[in-house]
Amino acid sequence: MNSLTRFSMRLLRFTGFTLLEYLRSGRVAIEIIATLAVYFVFLRRPMDAPYFFSTLGIFTPVLALYTTAIIIGLGDRPQSYVSLAHGIGRGTYLLGLFFSACAIVMGAYGLLSLGVALLNPPVDMNLGDWLLGTLPLLLNIGLLVALMLLLSPLVLSTGWRLLVLGLIALAFSSNFIGGVMLEAMPESGRALLRAVQALVGGLLVPAFYGFQLAVTRDYSTPTAFANLLAQASLLASLLGLSVYALSRRDVIFSSQ
Amino acid sequence: MADVIEIEELHKAYGSLPVLQGLSLRVAAGEVYGLLGPNGAGKTTLIHLMMGFLQPNQGRLRLLGNANLEQVRPRIGYIPERQRYHTRYTAREYLRFLGQFSGLTGVALRERVERELAAVGLLSAADRSLGAYSKGMLQRLGVAQALLSDPDLLLIDEPTSGLDLAGQREVIDLLASVRDLGHTIFLCTHYLQEVELLCDRVGVLVGGRIAAEARLRDLRDVATSVRIRVGSLDAELRARLENLGAGVRCDAQGVRLSPNTPALQATVLRALLDADVAIMALEPLESPLERLYLWALHSVPPTSAEARGVHVPSWDLEALAEPTAASPPADESASASDALLSELLGRNEGDRETEGRR
Repeated sequence: MNSLTRFSMRLLRFTGFTLLEYLRSGRVAIEIIATLAVYFVFLRRPMDAPYFFSTLGIFTPVLALYTTAIIIGLGDRPQSYVSLAHGIGRGTYLLGLFFSACAIVMGAYGLLSLGVALLNPPVDMNLGDWLLGTLPLLLNIGLLVALMLLLSPLVLSTGWRLLVLGLIALAFSSNFIGGVMLEAMPESGRALLRAVQALVGGLLVPAFYGFQLAVTRDYSTPTAFANLLAQASLLASLLGLSVYALSRRDVIFSSQ
Repeated sequence: MADVIEIEELHKAYGSLPVLQGLSLRVAAGEVYGLLGPNGAGKTTLIHLMMGFLQPNQGRLRLLGNANLEQVRPRIGYIPERQRYHTRYTAREYLRFLGQFSGLTGVALRERVERELAAVGLLSAADRSLGAYSKGMLQRLGVAQALLSDPDLLLIDEPTSGLDLAGQREVIDLLASVRDLGHTIFLCTHYLQEVELLCDRVGVLVGGRIAAEARLRDLRDVATSVRIRVGSLDAELRARLENLGAGVRCDAQGVRLSPNTPALQATVLRALLDADVAIMALEPLESPLERLYLWALHSVPPTSAEARGVHVPSWDLEALAEPTAASPPADESASASDALLSELLGRNEGDRETEGRR
């Protein structure tokens, strides 16, 4: 068995281990109730494909926030020392948590899609449309889960977390730093702020455009494919950064 | 054969809080080493460093001849301090998952799981949820999971912490059977009894380094102080008993022998029986291990820069085994013994330095 196969097997087993514990803990009831609620409240009316993807494009990130927070809590416990002691490795451990959270959220997405397809199919959506809209949506779920993992205490120390959160805030700062405040700043400060906003904000573009792509499913331009690539690259970068950060720091699980 | 654990000048701090300050120790293959230390001394930190959970700030750490701990981890078994396991699983399921993480598969995995469950006496409860296990059962499960991949080295952190007396005894018996299998064991604890029952060698961790180290065999040879508790002693008998030896001191309810020897003990007991005195109990007052521990705890400045890296080697305490006619009175003997221990330790440090120069 080569090392890649061994790594894949361990990742699969640890993901299964985490998912099974999640299911048995009963916490999955929240996801089930939320999924049923979304279906009965939003998805039983006559709808088209943009409505379907807009609705799930809002629901799935919210669900991802909740599920990932719980999964991080499951992974950040003293019990995990024993799992690590059995040689799954820090990278496998973190990726296992990532895939577990993704599997739960994507499972809810899959259930909603199945329910809609069987009981109330949108008038303008076939399987091809569903796949084209689903791909950027799932990548966005992955991005959000990966970002939350990166920002967890398990991966980054408090100082680094504040820095990343500060950068994200800067990316959105054009909404609240402008007008008089911007004019009061020296020219060099304005230039620096714009540069940082452009740089950090640029990293968020694939996620926002991915949402738009899911709704429009307009793949007529190369931009759409480039955006999928950008989403995938950003996802790989976030995961790589998390694995690297965890490999460099002390593993001190919460003693809850 | 190379030492299984080689640690030199290991430093670890959490932020500005130093925990290990130049710790050095070696453990030979097949040896059972007990690390004593008060709470917060850094025992768990040391085990977590050995497991690779933590990274040292400075120093050298080699396990099984390899400095890459990731590579040797499959050969290391780990029993954590608290009995915290994933309680949503049954014991059999949990061990199967852990075995898979360790790379075991198929028939080999099944056989190992069943074997370890049987070895720790959990076969009949193997399909019960871990959430329904008692602390003692969880600690037995801890032993089973640690042995799953047939490790060369076992790292055990506070094995009886939080257990009642029966549970402690159960776990100690279990670990004794594991020791008999020939594993190299590194055991952290603050219970002296565990060390006395299980270990070949003991080190005391104080101030982030090994403040004292001794072979249990040597310590066992050293006489202990005992008290013979009796119904009552009249003045005449007390005087007669005190004339039996300088180490004999009496009060109305008992006799204290310090230092004690089998011969002196037998003589005093015979005298008590001959005088028809009711003997209630014979109690140890202080063991040499306890003496070693307390000496290390109170005699070493925790952050002494000069003391960093000073490695106190195995004791030779035979000198304490035999009382002499010139033994000091009992009340003074403890401090005299301490002085002798200090002298011996100083001499041993000198020996180590001489060995180092060689």
